[in-house]
Amino acid sequence: MDDMRSRFDAEVLPHLDAAYRYARWLSRSPSDADDVVQEAMLRAFRGLNALHGSNVKAWLLTIVRNCHWTALKQMQRRGFVPLPDEHCAADGYAMISTAAGPEGAAIQRDAERTLDELIAALPLDQREVLHLREIEDMDYREIANMTEVPIGTVMSRLARARAALKVHWSVRCVGEQLVVP
Amino acid sequence: MSCPESLQSQSYFDGEVDTTAVPNMERHLESCTECLGLFENLTRSRGALRLGYGNMRAPSALRSRILRAIDREIPAKAAWRVRSFWWGAVSGLGAAVAAIFVVFFVPLLASNQPIADDLVAAHMRSIQSARLIEVVSADRHTVKPWFAGHADVSPVVADFTSQGYTLVGGRVDNLDHQRAAVVVYRHGAHVINVFSWRADWRPMPAELSRRGYHMVSWRVGDLQYCAVSDAGRNEMAALTRLIRSIAS
Repeated sequence: MDDMRSRFDAEVLPHLDAAYRYARWLSRSPSDADDVVQEAMLRAFRGLNALHGSNVKAWLLTIVRNCHWTALKQMQRRGFVPLPDEHCAADGYAMISTAAGPEGAAIQRDAERTLDELIAALPLDQREVLHLREIEDMDYREIANMTEVPIGTVMSRLARARAALKVHWSVRCVGEQLVVP
Repeated sequence: MSCPESLQSQSYFDGEVDTTAVPNMERHLESCTECLGLFENLTRSRGALRLGYGNMRAPSALRSRILRAIDREIPAKAAWRVRSFWWGAVSGLGAAVAAIFVVFFVPLLASNQPIADDLVAAHMRSIQSARLIEVVSADRHTVKPWFAGHADVSPVVADFTSQGYTLVGGRVDNLDHQRAAVVVYRHGAHVINVFSWRADWRPMPAELSRRGYHMVSWRVGDLQYCAVSDAGRNEMAALTRLIRSIAS
């Protein structure tokens, strides 16, 4: 169906990067994230007729979330124990556009590796809310709908995540060059 | 975090505080160093998170893998399309057949209506004029040979006096461009004309009423019969059964 494909390209495909980022935050490994994103995009394509609302991004991220949990349950059923994350910036977080010179980039990579570790230390429910708020810029209501919790829970999870980040942040002492005014 | 307004400060930072509460929050941030510190910290961590992860893009290999997978989805849809093509073709053919039926058969069915009118007219004419009977005889062995020389067909002729239907004679009427044989019966005060002519493929309704006259039609081989009378439908049906019971 060409019209379905062109609609998919116009409405869903622009959110592929957001879907990928979210999957990376949810999944334990980049390859798991790839599988989750691919499955989610296929489901989105098949379910395109069910999409009536204007918030395509929230719709797609919800599909990503469902795919992630489905995959996780399958792994648990099969007794699959994933390898621990290595948090290596080179294997996933290498596409940073704002690198300023090799030295600055090196410092930045160090800082990011630290940030990766900080984020990885967060419980999944907090990490997820933090991601949706800070990276995908979704409001409380959207996050509450997606994660199927009350808005109050979104707010408290967000506060806990940020507090945890702040504690580690000050311990690890990240350079001021990362502050965006 | 000891300030009771810290969650509210966070909401303010996230732009989730409604406009009426904004002045209050601004005043609070001016006086509460804890919330001001929180605000600065949130700004800093958001900046770092967006810088670190906001620009993360799906690897191009993954993107093309996904697009290939979606391309594979499309032939599945196309197969459905082929099925729907045949479905459409069959239903289209059905509709065409129905249309042909309507266009050709309805007028043809209607085209036999003039014959019905002719039959009624012929029946009425026969009663009003003196030309009801051309060969007066209650003897089928007189009437039937007479038809052989005058009509195009040779119908069943029989006398059913014992059943209440008396053969009174026969005549020839022009009907449907033929010389139709008419066998005349009397049933009480009623005259029953039994027309017969060479049938074509156009069907006649088994029963028909025109202007109060009943018509009962049947066909034997290529011979089309039609009994016309002002007699009741049941009486006509009885005569029809009698005639049909006799093999020509």
